Amino acid sequence: MKKFLNKPESFVDEMLEGIYRAHPDVTYTADDLRCYVTAKPVEGKVGIVTGGGSGHLPTFLGFVGKNMLDGCGVGGVFQSPSADQLAEVTRYVDQGAGVLFLYGNYTGDIMNFDMAGELVELDDIETATVVGNDDVASSVVGEEHKRRGVAGIFFLYKAAGAAAAQMKPLAEVARIAEKAKTRTRTMGVALSPCIVPEVGKPGFEIGENEMEIGMGIHGEPGISRKALAPADAVVDEMMERIFAETDYAKGDEVAILVNGLGGTPKEELYIIYRRLGQLMDEKGVKIRHVWLGEFATSMEMAGFSISVLHLDDELEPLIAAEADTPFFQHFAR
Amino acid sequence: MKSIEPALVIGLFDRFASRFEAERDALIALDGKVGDSDLGLTMSKAFVAARDRVHELEQPSLGDLMKHAGAAISKAAPSTMGTLMATGFMRGGKALSEASVLDISGLAAFWRAYADGVAQRGKAQLGDKTVLDVLDPIAQAYEAQNTDGADLAIAGQVAARAAAEALEATKQMVAQHGKAAAFQEKTVGLQDAGGTVACMLAEELGLFLNEQALS
Repeated sequence: MKKFLNKPESFVDEMLEGIYRAHPDVTYTADDLRCYVTAKPVEGKVGIVTGGGSGHLPTFLGFVGKNMLDGCGVGGVFQSPSADQLAEVTRYVDQGAGVLFLYGNYTGDIMNFDMAGELVELDDIETATVVGNDDVASSVVGEEHKRRGVAGIFFLYKAAGAAAAQMKPLAEVARIAEKAKTRTRTMGVALSPCIVPEVGKPGFEIGENEMEIGMGIHGEPGISRKALAPADAVVDEMMERIFAETDYAKGDEVAILVNGLGGTPKEELYIIYRRLGQLMDEKGVKIRHVWLGEFATSMEMAGFSISVLHLDDELEPLIAAEADTPFFQHFAR
Repeated sequence: MKSIEPALVIGLFDRFASRFEAERDALIALDGKVGDSDLGLTMSKAFVAARDRVHELEQPSLGDLMKHAGAAISKAAPSTMGTLMATGFMRGGKALSEASVLDISGLAAFWRAYADGVAQRGKAQLGDKTVLDVLDPIAQAYEAQNTDGADLAIAGQVAARAAAEALEATKQMVAQHGKAAAFQEKTVGLQDAGGTVACMLAEELGLFLNEQALS
């Protein structure tokens, strides 16, 4: 293992200390570095809390800020935060309008968020839950509830965050997050493994000329391992799965996220986007918004994912709304 | 004896705390055979925290008492079994939220909600060799005696016996969850560690009900 760190066991907390030093807009509550919250809660606004393991920056905590999220429970690398940490974050961000739990479909996270919901019920805080499950590769149509939540959760954060900023009530913010979820699809591919600091060696092995299509963000197996193909062929194969699940009419609009997993240069992501644009042109689908870079990573894993949000008249302005967090800025045009 | 005042139920948690402190090493040894050996530590921490919390409450209702015990367990023991026990007490507390005193119908509702909450959170089914395989028979025992209108002290003894038999029956099951699942067939012959915890809860409750009947 070759990494810049002091002690593997202080990887997460030292990262958090660095973030708090660099970004005064965020802080922590309950005397626990891992209870990450905005320094500027908005009175009367529905709070949005996410959470999950470390090792995925900017997901999850990176999107806590203006017009996006209000708090995040931070777990160890690839581990869930505790129910108690999530409850503390929830108590801090609640501004009287209730709190939406918005996170990815992983067993430990579900268990701890559900528990946190019960804990804050003792304080009369109302919560609602939307669980992102955008990863097309992790289960078939009809079994979407088994799908993992990956980079596409960014669109859920953006839509729900903008809706909450408009001071919509909890049920409405949850409905919008749910709608964005049903219209978001992601496919990923990996070329190399990642190393969890406290483990110290790669989580799996993959040949020099191989790629794994549908790989999960913790190195979970994908749907096929095969010889690395030219970029255009890889994009075509991935998009075939996404197109198979979406009814696009000519003139429909989408938002696109081309996400690097930590070890892929931006140049390559633009080569991916080039092909993606051609495919959308062929369908007559307009790419209304595009983001390209690192949004949900897996430490130093080489690879990328493509997330597509099928827009409609309600979601488009929410995705277009301005947002400002330590890890993400968007200026409304 | 037909019912117990909430203020007296606090004493039940003194029993739970002393029992799990006394059994700490035994639970560590049991869990160590197929698990990660932390069960004795987490359960003793969990129930000491629950005891301390319920003693701080001022005139709690029965439901709040159980829910706060669950919340304290969740904070003190964020392991799988800690979270499952926390869930059980919180769901059970919710089932008792209308109850002014602890009676046989309340105990039946408490244990059913407890078992269902654990099943839901842990995604376990009967026969998977988990804590549920003892919790469900406890709930069934209290439910049956609620139907018969049984005396509390007798109900407690019957339920404790049902728990002990159910724990014995887990020896023949093959583990499907947690670290034990990796050992599969090797778990046959061993009693389930989580089930052991549930059995201890039923035993202490039985002894507590008996003690209340005598006092």
